[in-house]
Amino acid sequence: MDSLKYTEILQKNKQLSTAAFDKILSVKILSNVTVNAFKEIFEYSLRLKKISPQIEIGNFDNLVQDSHHVKDENIIFIFYDMLNIADSVSDYFELLDHQMVSELEAKIKNEIHLILENLKDTPSVIFNSFSTSAFNTSFTRVSQLEKFVRDLNEFLYSLNYKNLVIVNIDKIVFELGRDQAYDFRFYLSSKAPYSLHFFKSYIKAIEPTIKKITGAVKKAIIFDCDNTLWKGVLGEDGFDNIQMTSTSSYGKPFNEVQHIARYLSRNGILVGLCSKNNAQDVDHVFANHKDIVLTNQDIVIKEVNWNDKVSNLLAISKKLNIGIDSIVFVDDSDYEINLVKEALPDVETLQVPKNLYQYKNNLLAFIYKNFNFSITEEDLQKTEQYKTQVYRDMEKNKFESLEKYIAALKIRLDFYKDSREQIVRISQLTQKTNQFNLTTVRYSETEIQKFIEDENCTIYTGSISDKYGDSGITILSIVCKDSFGQTARIDTLLMSCRIIGRNIEIVFLNSILNSLKESGIKSVTSSFISTTKNAQVSDFYEKLGFELTETSSGIKRYELNLHNYKSSDINYIEINYL
Amino acid sequence: MENNKSRIILVMSSVFETEHESINEESSVDNVENWDSIRHLNLILALEEEFRITIPDEEVGNLVNFKLIEIIVNEQLK
Repeated sequence: MDSLKYTEILQKNKQLSTAAFDKILSVKILSNVTVNAFKEIFEYSLRLKKISPQIEIGNFDNLVQDSHHVKDENIIFIFYDMLNIADSVSDYFELLDHQMVSELEAKIKNEIHLILENLKDTPSVIFNSFSTSAFNTSFTRVSQLEKFVRDLNEFLYSLNYKNLVIVNIDKIVFELGRDQAYDFRFYLSSKAPYSLHFFKSYIKAIEPTIKKITGAVKKAIIFDCDNTLWKGVLGEDGFDNIQMTSTSSYGKPFNEVQHIARYLSRNGILVGLCSKNNAQDVDHVFANHKDIVLTNQDIVIKEVNWNDKVSNLLAISKKLNIGIDSIVFVDDSDYEINLVKEALPDVETLQVPKNLYQYKNNLLAFIYKNFNFSITEEDLQKTEQYKTQVYRDMEKNKFESLEKYIAALKIRLDFYKDSREQIVRISQLTQKTNQFNLTTVRYSETEIQKFIEDENCTIYTGSISDKYGDSGITILSIVCKDSFGQTARIDTLLMSCRIIGRNIEIVFLNSILNSLKESGIKSVTSSFISTTKNAQVSDFYEKLGFELTETSSGIKRYELNLHNYKSSDINYIEINYL
Repeated sequence: MENNKSRIILVMSSVFETEHESINEESSVDNVENWDSIRHLNLILALEEEFRITIPDEEVGNLVNFKLIEIIVNEQLK
């Protein structure tokens, strides 16, 4: 994107515009400055992700009114620019009297409030911070305008809207430099302050947010070991000679990287190893090296052997039950990085730079580009959960039948209905779950709240624990009844891949169906919408005795007469109704 | 020079979202449908990036047809 000229972006965007992708993102841009060049650049960035954009630019400097007319857009951008605010007052900003400034401030805060209230049902609102970057200010004196902007930002960051994402545009200007970020030639004539460079960088800044909204989030980061987590080659230099201490200049960059990896694992990102080494040698380092920062508790999976890294990354994807495109990979070798790029183009890679002083910052930039940090309780426990998963799998081999194995796990299902405390987690599950997901419809937190408030709809959730640990809220279904209480429709049914293969879904759905039957529902409809990732559940409803009523273009529709429904006889999962 | 002509056509057709063939030496504000004030601005940015030039402020308003664009671009390339 960066290397492409605007003309090239326009052409490529046009070429791609004929492709109709399954995913559609509808976007509106509300702005008090002219940002038209952003439209095509953003369109192109979405089409590259196989998303069809529908982008509309609102009326110029009409933010409040436009926010009132927003309908069902997925994302609203707000460019509420200080440049035009300063233009809207009749005097030079520094000459305004206090009374005037505080009235203006109150007016703008009120407008922000109105805009965000109007947009509270929009899944995502991307609001740019207020900025003084476009103004020349004194190095030592705090101007009235700077104080004004500081107050507005303080207000903006204090607001508590679940759908609000604030982009700190000062950081973009900082990276580009003011002369690159702004192009004031067209500001006088057209109120267009931003350069093409600015918009290209802006796209990068919102990338993780867009990935989160479209459900394409990364889940795991996999590190090589030698010259990636420590200086030196373990097999050649030996245990005592590899370096990772902050007190040596060779070891310091690796010490920092290990600290970052530990930070990631404690913030819900899965950290793993993929290294050509003897497994026991590497284990010895993580267990016993005096300088090690990253410990066995932080590492979810180790593929340490002499197989090629492509096979190992595929094995990691399989063992953790996550898509290969959810993985990013860090290695020092040209050969390995290129091999992975070639064979697994969906895996984002970072090569350790030759100049090691750049390593930490390159890694951080890579992380902020790929991962979205919105932490829930479940994320924090995830590393633990995936690890217990690996132990469970080891135990699987000891039992002659799967049923006996599952029974021995002593699984408990805590069954919730319309739990408001879980809104963030429920939305996150709809965003992130790809494999065991019958319809793959993504819902924002606001949409989830609407389901909960709707009398005819119920959100059922399950928290799963067993003798090894607690998996948290990992199964979910949204069911809506008709207003006569005769039929019900399963809108959503999904389950985290962490708990696949334990018949939990059967027991969970069974509880829902029995509860619907008791409440007088006669029949239940459901559907399966095929995606590239959910083939494993394509015949889920058939297996449970639903009748296939219609098949058309990747969608199968089903009906189940509850009168004929035979309740499940699985008795080894304890259900706890809450 | 001929090469510059085709690059200008490329830029204009991209910015005005029209076919290459419909842009020629006679193209101007009056006969290119999408040539509005906003796209005029995008045209300047695209020309500057394409030719690595800076179009002087006083010329921005003069770039109203193909021939004038060609003259001003060539001047800046000197």
